[in-house]
Amino acid sequence: MAFNFNWSPLMADADFYERAQEMLTTALNKSPKPPIIVDDILVNELNLGSIPPKLEILEIGDLAEDRFRGIFKMCYTGDAFLTLQTRVQANPLNTYLFSKPSFCSPQPLAASSGLTIPLQITLSEIKLSAFIIVVFSRQKGLTLVFRNDPLESLKVSSTFDSIPFVRDYLQKEIEIQLRTLMMDELPAIIHRLSLRLWSSEHSAKEDESSVARKEKAEDEEVPIDPFSSPPQDAVDARGNVLDANEISSLSLEGGSEIHSLFSQKNLLRLAALNDSHRTLSLFTPSIRETVFRAWAGPSERTDLASSATTPAAPNLMRTQSSLGNSTTYIFNRGSHDSHSISSRPSLVSLPSTTGLSLGSGRSRSHANRKKRNRVINLRKSSKTTDDIMSESGDSDTASTILMSEPAIGTQTITEEPEDSIIEPPRTPSRVRFRTSSIDLGDSPRNSRILTGRPGLSFLSETVPEQVIVEPTPSIEKEESDHIEYSRSHRPVFTSLDGEGKSSLASKPFEQAPTMDSAPGIVEQAWLLKMAGEIARHVHDEKVSRQGFWCNSQREDTPPPAYQPKA
Amino acid sequence: MLEFMDYVQHVFYNASNWNIDNSYSQLTATARAILDFETPRGLRFTASSLASPNFATSYNLGSVGLVDGSFSYLYSSRVLQTVSKSSQIDLHSVIRGYRQIKELRTPDKALEWEEWQVGKRTDCRDQLLYGRLYLPLSTLEALYLRRISPTQQLKLSAVSDGRMRNGGTILALHQYDVGKYSTESLYSTDGGLIGVRGLYNFGPDPRKQDPDLTRMEERFYGRFSAGAEMYYGALNKSGGVSFGGRFATLPAHKGIPLTATVTLNPLMGNISSTYAVKASKNLSLCSQLDFNVYSYESIIVLGCELWRMKAPKDKKWERSMEAKLAWKLDEVVEPTISVPREVAGVLKARIDQNWRIGLLWEGRVKDLMFTLGSSIDMKRKDQPFRALGMELQYSS
Repeated sequence: MAFNFNWSPLMADADFYERAQEMLTTALNKSPKPPIIVDDILVNELNLGSIPPKLEILEIGDLAEDRFRGIFKMCYTGDAFLTLQTRVQANPLNTYLFSKPSFCSPQPLAASSGLTIPLQITLSEIKLSAFIIVVFSRQKGLTLVFRNDPLESLKVSSTFDSIPFVRDYLQKEIEIQLRTLMMDELPAIIHRLSLRLWSSEHSAKEDESSVARKEKAEDEEVPIDPFSSPPQDAVDARGNVLDANEISSLSLEGGSEIHSLFSQKNLLRLAALNDSHRTLSLFTPSIRETVFRAWAGPSERTDLASSATTPAAPNLMRTQSSLGNSTTYIFNRGSHDSHSISSRPSLVSLPSTTGLSLGSGRSRSHANRKKRNRVINLRKSSKTTDDIMSESGDSDTASTILMSEPAIGTQTITEEPEDSIIEPPRTPSRVRFRTSSIDLGDSPRNSRILTGRPGLSFLSETVPEQVIVEPTPSIEKEESDHIEYSRSHRPVFTSLDGEGKSSLASKPFEQAPTMDSAPGIVEQAWLLKMAGEIARHVHDEKVSRQGFWCNSQREDTPPPAYQPKA
Repeated sequence: MLEFMDYVQHVFYNASNWNIDNSYSQLTATARAILDFETPRGLRFTASSLASPNFATSYNLGSVGLVDGSFSYLYSSRVLQTVSKSSQIDLHSVIRGYRQIKELRTPDKALEWEEWQVGKRTDCRDQLLYGRLYLPLSTLEALYLRRISPTQQLKLSAVSDGRMRNGGTILALHQYDVGKYSTESLYSTDGGLIGVRGLYNFGPDPRKQDPDLTRMEERFYGRFSAGAEMYYGALNKSGGVSFGGRFATLPAHKGIPLTATVTLNPLMGNISSTYAVKASKNLSLCSQLDFNVYSYESIIVLGCELWRMKAPKDKKWERSMEAKLAWKLDEVVEPTISVPREVAGVLKARIDQNWRIGLLWEGRVKDLMFTLGSSIDMKRKDQPFRALGMELQYSS
């Protein structure tokens, strides 16, 4: 993974400098000035220099096209400089008396008479070293927070360099001022600048979210109809483009009509692709206007790992051929203990490979969860997949279990982490994010807890019961539920005990297999257009309901890794 | 207008024969009174009382946006015989204006202060204790004043405030005044500031001979004084120096009383000169010019002080009962002493080169002494009134 930081465009943009100077001037004059400064502080010159700061990525909590969260270690020893202009009181006795109560002042006659001198201060050789927390969201702009005092040293050269007392005093005062500027003002300035940069989108998004809020108020309880917002360019079975009227006439109930919405040819190709995935064949059918995605996240690795390990278990192999590993896994869990155990080591390795933080894994898992729901939608709507299911599953109830299972998983998971997100158990209070107190530094620990959990053997006993106990027939309901439980909620288990502990502990791992969905990759690509609208609506609802953080956990569209030859 | 507690302190100085004007820090007192007066802000009411000749209390309530106040107590070991009722206090003694310097006084002999009783000294030194607590700021002011000897005085003032560095500060001031010259040395705990001030009066030494009467024939019968001050902050390694001179006419001067001062700060290159005249009995004019030789900055301030007197009440002339009974006219009694006219009010005004105007109207309505003031900035057309305030004082 590589990041490209552009430093030079900042220098070239004169407009940027102008704005930055303006903002710095207001920021410098906002805080009460020391009595030695008798005039406004003007920023005369600002140059960021040509040497960019060195950034070391410590942790990336969240990453997508439109949002980013991470911790950096920044070192800067560049050639940036800043020239300030103001007027100072040169008489030390005058400034001495300034803050003294008149009752106790020596009341000098003329010794305190003032001498104001125009002063030009150049700040150069700025050495910074800090841990920065960067949170970027296209909607909320860029937030940058220093976790520690960033200023290491700086050189203050001024008109008074020849007078050591004044020079030392200025150096001290300016360092104090600069520290407050860095810690308090700079994040605000950067946030404002970033908002200005994305202001159009910002306002647009706000409108959108307000619309979504209205919509949400209308159909609070109504399950979302995926066809309420029809696909943009839908075609019927023969590839003819459907017009809007035809689409609006469609409904979930009319299964046959929906069926005609998707081309048989493509569905066959998808099935072929599915099969090739299951059989580990290298053949890839070419599907037009689709994007293949490679998941760089841990789920993919588990995909590979599980597919690599599962062949060892023949039971699994058999079921795999009929369905994706994830689902088969669930089916088999009840009956074949040996199989689930065999596949477990790979799952255990999942969080440890996450490495940086759970956050990334979390978003990934949500992505997969969502994707999985789409798969379910497809199956429900198109009868072609139904036979695959019945072929693999033992009975109809099995299929319902299968469909309801991820929803159960999310339900049980989100109940717990809801608290842990709002008040993380061991969060250092230093973090200054506005709405939520998510500590990025905390997540690796959680992931470690996850990996270190020994109660995996419970998986086989406890989980299936739960799964079967809660069959939820309405898929649409499930989907809405599932999305209402924010994907941003990470499965953190801090207050677990007894039975609940084991069952909950097993959940993330149970979930992990559902993430990888090799067939789902293609299907998702195919259904992206159709589901995009739904997802957006649902997401916007979520945005309107939840805070800043959840906002950033937006509809995830990971970047395409490669494209088929078409 | 002086606050009641300051007024009582001045009474104490007078009672203990201390000349507060004979000090370098009071060199420009006239210009300060006419040009640097403070305009009140908001509404403020003070109720004070000299409960006993040794004890005074004062309560103060003010409102500038939010309500604040203070209460203060004063104890003096010397019996203070003075007018304390606000309806009777002479406004000349509470309103500072043109300061007419007095002839130098011969200081008391130390022997005169001694009191012996049955072979033991029973006299004690005069002292004054004063404390003031501001609420809700919780600032405490304390003052201890002691006349060590007829020529010396010690003044300790302290402020305790949680918001200040080190929680407060103490200033110790030792004054030595023999008439011909006076010196002051001070130490402030804040920054370890050490200061020395001195004033020398040219002319005859009051300790040696009587004032030379022949000099009164000169065109300007006055006194020239020169002084200097020096400060050094031990902790912050900063200091300050200034020199000053003053010529002022004495009360026996036959022409228009005038005061002229020059002060010079050689370190900062600041020269300040003031000139004040008492143009008539009720009008004083003053001007001040500051110039800095390093930065070429200059300030000019003009001010005036106008005393308005109440028209003397014409006593209705009536025949007395005795005269009527005696069937004759009253004997015409020529008024030997002209009764001083009642002051209706004092107007002070100043203006500087930036068109900043300060106005102050001080006077008395029935039992209340009032101060009404405003500062106006003509440069700011949208909001010329920068401050507006009224202070009311009642004392008994």
